[in-house]
Amino acid sequence: MFEESSENRAGKGTWGFIVLGPIFGMLYVCLLPLIGLMTLLLALPEYATAKKPDILEKGGMCMSCHASQGMTKVFKNNEKLSVTVRPGDFKVTVHSSLNCTDCHQKISLESHPGTVYESRSAFILEAAAACRTCHPDSQLNAKPVHAFLTNKANAPPCTGCHGAHSVKRIAELKPALTDNQYCLTCHRQRISTRLSNGEELSLFIDQSLLSASVHNKHSCSDCHSEFSRDSHPVRTYGSSRAHSIAVSQACMKCHADKIKAVRDSIHYNPSFPVGEIMVSEGNPKAPVCTDCHGFHSVGPRATFDTLSGVPCRKCHEDIFKVYSKSVHGMARANGQHKAPLCSSCHFAHDITVTAMAEKIKSACLGCHKGIEAVHKKWLPNAGLHMSAVACAACHSPNSGRGIYLRLEDQTTGKPFTEEQVTRLLGTTYEGLSRKMNAHGEGIGAGELWSIVQQLNEKGTNAKVTFFGKLNVSKGVESHQLAFKKQAVKECETCHNKNSDFFKSVTVAIVKADGKLSRYTARPEVLGSMFSLLSLRQFYVIGATRLTLLDWLGILMVAGGMMVPMAHITVRILTSPIREARKQHELRKGGKR
Amino acid sequence: MKKVYLHPLTVRIWHWINAVSFVVLIITGLQLRYREVMGIMKFRDAVDLHNLVGFVLIFNFLLWFVFYLFSGRIKVYIPPLNLKKFIVGCITQARYYGYGIFIGEANPHHSTADNKFNPIQQMAYLVIMLVLMPLQLVSGLLLWDTKTFGTWISLAGGIKVVDTVHVLIFLGLTSFIFIHLYLVTLGETPVTHIKAMFTGYEELKEERGH
Repeated sequence: MFEESSENRAGKGTWGFIVLGPIFGMLYVCLLPLIGLMTLLLALPEYATAKKPDILEKGGMCMSCHASQGMTKVFKNNEKLSVTVRPGDFKVTVHSSLNCTDCHQKISLESHPGTVYESRSAFILEAAAACRTCHPDSQLNAKPVHAFLTNKANAPPCTGCHGAHSVKRIAELKPALTDNQYCLTCHRQRISTRLSNGEELSLFIDQSLLSASVHNKHSCSDCHSEFSRDSHPVRTYGSSRAHSIAVSQACMKCHADKIKAVRDSIHYNPSFPVGEIMVSEGNPKAPVCTDCHGFHSVGPRATFDTLSGVPCRKCHEDIFKVYSKSVHGMARANGQHKAPLCSSCHFAHDITVTAMAEKIKSACLGCHKGIEAVHKKWLPNAGLHMSAVACAACHSPNSGRGIYLRLEDQTTGKPFTEEQVTRLLGTTYEGLSRKMNAHGEGIGAGELWSIVQQLNEKGTNAKVTFFGKLNVSKGVESHQLAFKKQAVKECETCHNKNSDFFKSVTVAIVKADGKLSRYTARPEVLGSMFSLLSLRQFYVIGATRLTLLDWLGILMVAGGMMVPMAHITVRILTSPIREARKQHELRKGGKR
Repeated sequence: MKKVYLHPLTVRIWHWINAVSFVVLIITGLQLRYREVMGIMKFRDAVDLHNLVGFVLIFNFLLWFVFYLFSGRIKVYIPPLNLKKFIVGCITQARYYGYGIFIGEANPHHSTADNKFNPIQQMAYLVIMLVLMPLQLVSGLLLWDTKTFGTWISLAGGIKVVDTVHVLIFLGLTSFIFIHLYLVTLGETPVTHIKAMFTGYEELKEERGH
């Protein structure tokens, strides 16, 4: 019974183990992780909501002061920096678990406030150096633009872009920032890049200038079209000049009219695309848009109306010195804002050669309205004088002056260009140059006439002749305009064959690009008989008179005087004959 | 002595205005052209005077032209249509000035109101009064205001051409004035012609029958 009952018991127990074992086993295997997971899930909210020690607690001693509003630090250079830490801001940062001294490692209660820094930036740079304790180079160099910034010797502090106690990833900043604010997050820092030639190019953007510029409504990527929130290519330039040329291309998008004007200007070489203005002539200072207008501070024209800000000075300092002492320059310096600056006369974009141009005269007349009527009051043929004499020739006392002869097509009234001349004469520039100075002593009257004759023979319907103009010899001197009372008013200054003004004669042939080719001519060309044909539209009473007419005049007047004298002489000599005849007739009459 | 009324009052006034104008224009013209050797007045004053007297001369010329044209006296300037007679007359007159005058021959030409000039005078004054004077006055007018008359100046060949014409005529007329001044002394007495230009009457010897 016992055995039987044991077997029975044993039989019952086996069945129970066989049935219940796997069940409990499964439950054990599955339930236990489930219970653990549930426990964890149940515990997490508790953990998450558990009151962690915040900065007020961790940095209790520090925050007892630095949580107060208005805490500032004053540096040696008197700069100030707010040292107030807002616990709420800090609490939501990734650094919320850190303690104050984790970053401000040099600060201790014993030595606080510790080092006295020279400046705000010196303090920030040192404080931001602590970031590298946790953020290794591998992390900083992960993105090329970030690597570019952080590896520089003068790299801006991390806090500049990421903030200090409210530190954030840049990605976190994106949603809350406008496009421009996003770019300025970094570019408001004094960052720069070294160009291939060693020049340092600032990438810093002064927000105040940007806000004041005429482009303040634009988005950065309107001009910097390759850049956006999602794209920031790393670019490099050979020089700041190359950079200026490249970025000026952006201006073309909106300012096509200005670009066209620049194309026609003296600053532009038409054989090259816009953007390589005068580069072909090796002039690295030749202006592109940004040279005059700046980059981000593009302002209205009025912003250039200050003596110090004239962009032309960068290249034309010699002219500016002379201008500063002129009546216009002095008026400007004395606060007369209507007094002209460079662009007032030369204009801003379509700057052309001025030696023979009517444009400058128009600029003068633009301000000095009715000036022809004023001249008419005392100057005979004022209109002729004003077309043949440059304003500066009379109003720039003590300047050298000379006669400029320009080839002009009388039919159209336009200058006959060097290109037209060389084409019609079937020669090259060098050939023309040789022709213009065949004897090495300047162009003679015959040569001048020969050119006019050939051009009129071959120049289809053109009526080509030389027009003369009295102008100052050096462009610089034309800027030393003086007060009216100092202007030339004595007619004899010019209307005199001995005047020095007519001893310098230059043949100025306009090139297609507006520049001038100058050839020296002999002063005799003005008074030669050939000038009747080649300079028929240029005459200065007395000064450029025909020399041959002088001799002819002497001969004619002498002849007019000598005929009577000779006749009288013969009459005197023949008076005995007449007397004898008279006596004879009297005698004859007496006999009768 | 016989008196012949040769010069009406209008002609005499015209002549003396002309004479004074010529002198002033020659002096001021020389001053304008030769400033470096002449300094009797300022260039500016010379311009004003030259322009003023130039206009006086223009109006004077118009006075002469209208008077001579409408009074019919213009014919004294017109040579005879008979060319042979004119050439013979010229040769006869030239012979007188070149030979006859020296041996005491009488002047072959006797002035009357209708036949004032001898053939050579007639030819000279015709050119002077109807070609040179108008040209001189017109060229002077063009040079007076080169802007207003710019187109005309260009048509004439340019300002230098116009000036050259003006100066050439000036030289010709100036030369002629010396001869004219000499010829006026070749009357019955050296002052006969000059007096006539004041009084209007030319005094001629009775026995000559003129």
